[in-house]
Amino acid sequence: MHPPSRKLNSHEIGALLRGDPEIIANWTRQWCPRRFVLHVFVIIMGAGLYGAAMGWWRDPEQALYVAIKFPLIILLTTAGNALLNAMLAPLLGLNIPFRQSFSAILMSFTVTAAILGAFSPLLAFLVWNAPPMSPEAVSGPAYNLIKLTHVVVIAFAGVTGNARLFQLLAQLGGSRMVARRVLLAWLGVNLFLGSQLSWILRPFIGAPTLPVEFFRAAALHGNFYENVFHSLLQILQFD
Amino acid sequence: MPAWGPRPLGDDPAERAAIPNVIVAIEAILRQPRRMMFQLRQPGAGRLIAAMIFVSVVCSLIYGVVAGTFSGGTQLWAAPVKIAAGLMISALICLPSLYIFTCLSGSQARLVEVSGLLAGLLLLMTILLIGFAPVAWIFSQSTESLAWMGTLHLVFWLVATLFGLRYLANGFSHSNARSMAGFYTWVVIFLLVAIQMTTALRPILGTSETFFPTEKKFFLSHWGDCLNLWDGGLKSRSRE
Repeated sequence: MHPPSRKLNSHEIGALLRGDPEIIANWTRQWCPRRFVLHVFVIIMGAGLYGAAMGWWRDPEQALYVAIKFPLIILLTTAGNALLNAMLAPLLGLNIPFRQSFSAILMSFTVTAAILGAFSPLLAFLVWNAPPMSPEAVSGPAYNLIKLTHVVVIAFAGVTGNARLFQLLAQLGGSRMVARRVLLAWLGVNLFLGSQLSWILRPFIGAPTLPVEFFRAAALHGNFYENVFHSLLQILQFD
Repeated sequence: MPAWGPRPLGDDPAERAAIPNVIVAIEAILRQPRRMMFQLRQPGAGRLIAAMIFVSVVCSLIYGVVAGTFSGGTQLWAAPVKIAAGLMISALICLPSLYIFTCLSGSQARLVEVSGLLAGLLLLMTILLIGFAPVAWIFSQSTESLAWMGTLHLVFWLVATLFGLRYLANGFSHSNARSMAGFYTWVVIFLLVAIQMTTALRPILGTSETFFPTEKKFFLSHWGDCLNLWDGGLKSRSRE
């Protein structure tokens, strides 16, 4: 077993991406403020750059807003659920302290943000090649291609971050069954809060007929799940 | 030495010989790619990478001049600038994702080594393009069809890129990667970016009043337009 490492170097993010559970488990066992700052920095830069590429198609101002909002969603989700996630872990069989569960989730988001950051030049290139955003463009193939690319990249980054988290939880708990249970519980609560935060902080890609703004005027009216429910009713024609 | 996997780099003394200049670098990437890979892991690899990028830029500029002779005029300087810049920007855009896929595959390669392998891809690709340049020049002087010349350059570029990617895959397999899936995904991304770059920086072969295109297009739509123009030209010629 590797001794707990307090040393911080530039290869740490590489080690995190490679996902050696033993090394990463040792990192979570000891609180290192510099490592915490590094992970928050990667989240701000990685998700921020990706957000900028996402909002750029609508307007450079929108790019700036999304560059702020994207990391904000990740950090607020991590902080908002920190207590609940720390309570769920021992209840589901993984006896780790608050600090360790918080570090583990932050690390998984760091992996996700690093991947998003690495894909941001590709997304920026895609947006640069797309025709300017207009009502016609939004109903054309460019919009669908950009949307589909975002879905694929974000899904890949999210799945990879969670796969690394699963490996880490299995290492910490010594059981894949317990790791799966804890991961599913954490995923559930993080998705629940993350979806609502995304709803409040919309728009991201933006719409050509609506103004560029940080929040929509109706940001705090209704919620994500209410909207999904109404959409379902409309699809089933109950409304 | 393990009984499985690729032979470790540097086990042959010839691979440990330093690469002192660009001529030796060109020789090495063609004849001794393992020597190049070994040298990229040594201290001071940055200078070798810079030399590789320099040769790639020079070679792509030369190939660009040959491509520019099809239309002549301003294309004699615009085509080389666009080809060299497009190639370098494509590599720069794709470098972060290559590093991420390398790490996710469990590889121990550092960013400098990954950059070196990518520079090797560019070097091999552009050297091969120089090899194709006389053939491309002969065709550019004997045909007026833009679609035909575009296809020819694309085929030359694809052949050169495949050799470059083979070098990169070889280097990747020496970095203790557990899987090649990430690498193959990146290859698709790189090919798409490089092909789109030719549309984003058009015209490279034909002529235009502006340096950059005024209309944004994806490459499939641009190719479709070119083929329609070619088809229209053939029909009007057959009527004559």
